[in-house]
Amino acid sequence: MHFKQDAMRKYGIIAILAIAIAIPFLTDSMFILNLLVLMLIFIIFASAWNLLAYSGQGSLGHAAFFGIGAYASTLIAVKSGITPFVTIFFGAAVAAFIGILIGLTCVRLKEWFLAMVTFGFAIIVQTLTVSVLAPVTGGWDGIASARLLSPSIPGYQIIEYFAVLAITIASIVAIWYIMKSRIGLAFLAIRENELEAQAAGIDPVRYRLLAFAISAYLAGVAGALQIHHIGYLTPELYGVDNSFWPVTYVILGGLGTLAGPVIGTIVLTIIWEGLKATGLTFGRYVIVGAMLILAIIFLPRGLVSLPEQVQEWVKRRKRKEPLPEPAGD
Amino acid sequence: MDNMGVFLQIIFWGLYAGCIYILLATGLNLIFGVMKTVNFAHGEFLMLGAYITATIFFLTGINPYLIILLSMLALIGIGAVVERFCFRPILGTGKLNEIFLSIGLIYIFQNGAAMIWTDEWQSVKSPYDGITIPVGSLFVPLDYILIMVFTAAILCGLYLFLNRTTIGMQMRATSQNRKGAMLVGINVERIDIISFGMGCSLAAAAGTLWIVSGQIFNPYMGSIPAIKAFAIIILGGLGSIPGAIIGGLLMGLAENGAAFLLGGIWKDAISFVILIIVLVVRPTGLFGEKGE
Repeated sequence: MHFKQDAMRKYGIIAILAIAIAIPFLTDSMFILNLLVLMLIFIIFASAWNLLAYSGQGSLGHAAFFGIGAYASTLIAVKSGITPFVTIFFGAAVAAFIGILIGLTCVRLKEWFLAMVTFGFAIIVQTLTVSVLAPVTGGWDGIASARLLSPSIPGYQIIEYFAVLAITIASIVAIWYIMKSRIGLAFLAIRENELEAQAAGIDPVRYRLLAFAISAYLAGVAGALQIHHIGYLTPELYGVDNSFWPVTYVILGGLGTLAGPVIGTIVLTIIWEGLKATGLTFGRYVIVGAMLILAIIFLPRGLVSLPEQVQEWVKRRKRKEPLPEPAGD
Repeated sequence: MDNMGVFLQIIFWGLYAGCIYILLATGLNLIFGVMKTVNFAHGEFLMLGAYITATIFFLTGINPYLIILLSMLALIGIGAVVERFCFRPILGTGKLNEIFLSIGLIYIFQNGAAMIWTDEWQSVKSPYDGITIPVGSLFVPLDYILIMVFTAAILCGLYLFLNRTTIGMQMRATSQNRKGAMLVGINVERIDIISFGMGCSLAAAAGTLWIVSGQIFNPYMGSIPAIKAFAIIILGGLGSIPGAIIGGLLMGLAENGAAFLLGGIWKDAISFVILIIVLVVRPTGLFGEKGE
């Protein structure tokens, strides 16, 4: 059974990778390519959020890190003229630094206290951006950002797509490595029982901060990528929407799993764009909300667990079938 | 004299905003006390209450202060449905799940309301618009005073309900000790539904009073007040209704003071600054004992 699942997983990964590499050659629609780039960026973002949740900390303010990464990278790129491909990582480092500061206030908090504080930080960061920092950030109007690649380069969108794809894969591999390592084990231990983890010699504060830093770093990478892709940024980046989307993607895909954020983001993006084609505007959100609630109640481990769940249902069905049936019918 | 006037004005605005927060926070506390559940979508019930009042007002033209009762009743029903079909199935599966579920509810209610009523800003004109009453050197709109009176009346009603009626006492018993309540024959699931509905109806009252005083509203109006109400109950102690009342007033005052001193932009952020400072010092809240 295990062997079969492992093989399935391997083929699944290969299939997804093959599709991801083939797509730009199958379509020349700029719209689809643009959509895919944004989807990849959100896969990084959702995976970043997921890693923090993996350590037992559910943040409702990840837009803060997304936005800080975007602003920091943009400002560095615009002021120094360095290519965004480099500044992304500096911008993300700023996000990670702020992440550690925010983490410091959160290390003793649990569940919804933590959710509240992180949510509040996103609002505070937004307020700072449009008030005290307005001379640098452009306030509510925002500022123009450097593009990843100049649109004058032929085929720049395909190059950009592969660059983002490479960063996405690197991020996921990094997260996979972290989850597998002792650090990941420590995160799990803290999530399951902080006291026991402490007794086993794990310093919860250190690991929680580490989770915050890594998660904020990756969220910052995602934010910076998105803004350098679009070429313009406004404080809307810190909005509630950007804090809630990664949560939605991850819950739907499967909380605390490596594949969850990836599958959740892909499936939801397809559904989202499909609904857009039907002309729904607000209705899309209602449907996504309903899906989220249904998933939490009926599929608590997300789409990742769907094959297992189906097997379970089938098994239960089968067990019921041999029950004696009234003869004669 | 002038300074004094400004000072008085800030206090008055603070009290007025505080009333809305008190109603929201009390509702949240009622729900938390009984079910030990948090509902981040609580602000959406405020929004629904506001829209129901506005719709009835636009259709009939009845004094909006009278519609508050209808709006509260409607929200008891909506709250009961949400409790039964969303929160009950996940009760006891972890607090993170409740947070995530609330996000789903926020999506549904905000955008559902936008589908029905559009996402334009709207406003309701109070019949007492423009009437002011002199208080000291200040001319206070009659609406503000009415809102304080209504809030006080609702809180007194709630107090009497919790202390004098059987259901109220059952609610208190359940919040003190759920297992004990079950043992003495209280149907705790029924109490859950009632508490959730009542909490929502308090939010509806808050929404109604908010728009009747001339505030503009749209489907997204509820999130920020609700999050502030969370800050208040964290500060004031989970499940403590007196804490919610004092915390609500303080939050209203702090926020309006900050808006005056630092600029209006800081109005929303300041409540979180306070919350974060308090939580850094005391991770369980100002009056909280257990780390729930």
